[in-house]
Amino acid sequence: MNEPSISVKNLTKSFGDRRVVDDLSFDVRKGEVFALLGHNGAGKSTTIDLILGLKTPDGGTAKILGMDAAKHRKQVFERVGVQLQHTQYQTSITVEEACIEYASLYASPADYHKLLDGFGLAPLRKSLVSKLSGGERQKLSVVLALIGNPEIVFLDELTTGLDVVARREVWRTLKQLKEQGLTIFLTTHYMEEAEALCDRVCIIKSGKKVAEGTVDEVVAASGGKDLEEAYLFFMGEEELL
Amino acid sequence: MKRFLSMYRVEQKLFFRSPDVILFCLAMPLVVFVLITMIAGGKVASSSGLTYLQSAYVSLSTVGICCSAFMSIPITIVECRSQGVLRRMYCSPCSPARLLACDTICSGVIAALSTLILTVAAVVVFGYRMPGNVFAYMAVWLLTMISMFSIGLMVASLCRTTKSMNVVTSLLYFPMLLFSGATIPAEVFPGGLRAVSKLMPLGVGIDLLKSVSVGCYDKLTLPVITLIAITVICGTVAVKTFRWE
Repeated sequence: MNEPSISVKNLTKSFGDRRVVDDLSFDVRKGEVFALLGHNGAGKSTTIDLILGLKTPDGGTAKILGMDAAKHRKQVFERVGVQLQHTQYQTSITVEEACIEYASLYASPADYHKLLDGFGLAPLRKSLVSKLSGGERQKLSVVLALIGNPEIVFLDELTTGLDVVARREVWRTLKQLKEQGLTIFLTTHYMEEAEALCDRVCIIKSGKKVAEGTVDEVVAASGGKDLEEAYLFFMGEEELL
Repeated sequence: MKRFLSMYRVEQKLFFRSPDVILFCLAMPLVVFVLITMIAGGKVASSSGLTYLQSAYVSLSTVGICCSAFMSIPITIVECRSQGVLRRMYCSPCSPARLLACDTICSGVIAALSTLILTVAAVVVFGYRMPGNVFAYMAVWLLTMISMFSIGLMVASLCRTTKSMNVVTSLLYFPMLLFSGATIPAEVFPGGLRAVSKLMPLGVGIDLLKSVSVGCYDKLTLPVITLIAITVICGTVAVKTFRWE
């Protein structure tokens, strides 16, 4: 009955000689916020690409809602929202037009006015996306990830480039969505973000899992006092502590 | 359908914001038409028996098709792919057919608008009257458009990078624009070049349109079959080889 929302088993991917994702396994349960943590180039984005079917794994499986995203693209993405790193938009499209266009792709989209309001983007409705600041564009990509009323949302480095206030706005909205039962899969470089939002985290190094569990479990296993210390411990960077 | 329309409306607005579209699809054919007609409008073009006015109207009514098919369609799709817009679209329930259909209809509307402007100028200002059946002409024009668009869509699917697409579109666009008789009347070409123009896909369409425009309906079968075959083959390749990134 309680099938995991996302299920990754022995996932492996190499580019040439370099193994980017190495025998990675984890489950994300329904309604939980799960973070994949690791350095730049640790394989986080590749793992997301593999789960979403944007890349084909060399070995192992990744299922969303029990389905293979590459094979059941339409069914999967009707229920799954995605924010990719560096989301791009058509030249000369406005914020509102981007919302209308993406909303038109889903059977029962959310009200984009409410979403724009929630992220403080309502006054920018008529602005060109190309004229937005980095943070505003980042928030728009989160809005578009949520526009299909998804059950699961993927957020790849969602708050990179956001200022402190904008980051808190995004956190607040994500917490509200979590209370409504949304499953969230995110990657981040900010440990305090993982601590503030996540039920469970998985730390990877060179594509391999080095720690997994609730924030408290991971911190306890490392002997550190917070997630940042635990992260550095598992990365083998203790000398920085 | 309502959902498709909202997507279409946004895409169409984006098309009209592109200055190239206005310049090449809408303004250029009109300017060339006015020039040719003012210089030689009443003269009979040597081989076809059409006046330059009649010939230029037909030829230039395909320039919008040519620009859309070999410039706007491949450029829009390949740029969206290389910038990662299609990668994001992949992560939504949007099907490739829907995306291609949407961009094709947008380009079709531009091509039709281009021809409409030309027609108003020809009929109102220069007193052009088509001897042949107008509805038959519209049908053949539509067939030519769909057929050329399928080539453009195939190019968009096959070219992986903006660079290769630029090379291929230039190789298609400029020869078709200049040597198929779309801008420079084929009647002034030397024999060899005229034979080449008749072999170009757009040249086939233009010849067919010229016949229909003067009410000459024999010898339609072969070009019509050729255009339909192009549509089926290129359209199938376009959908089968479509890539999101």
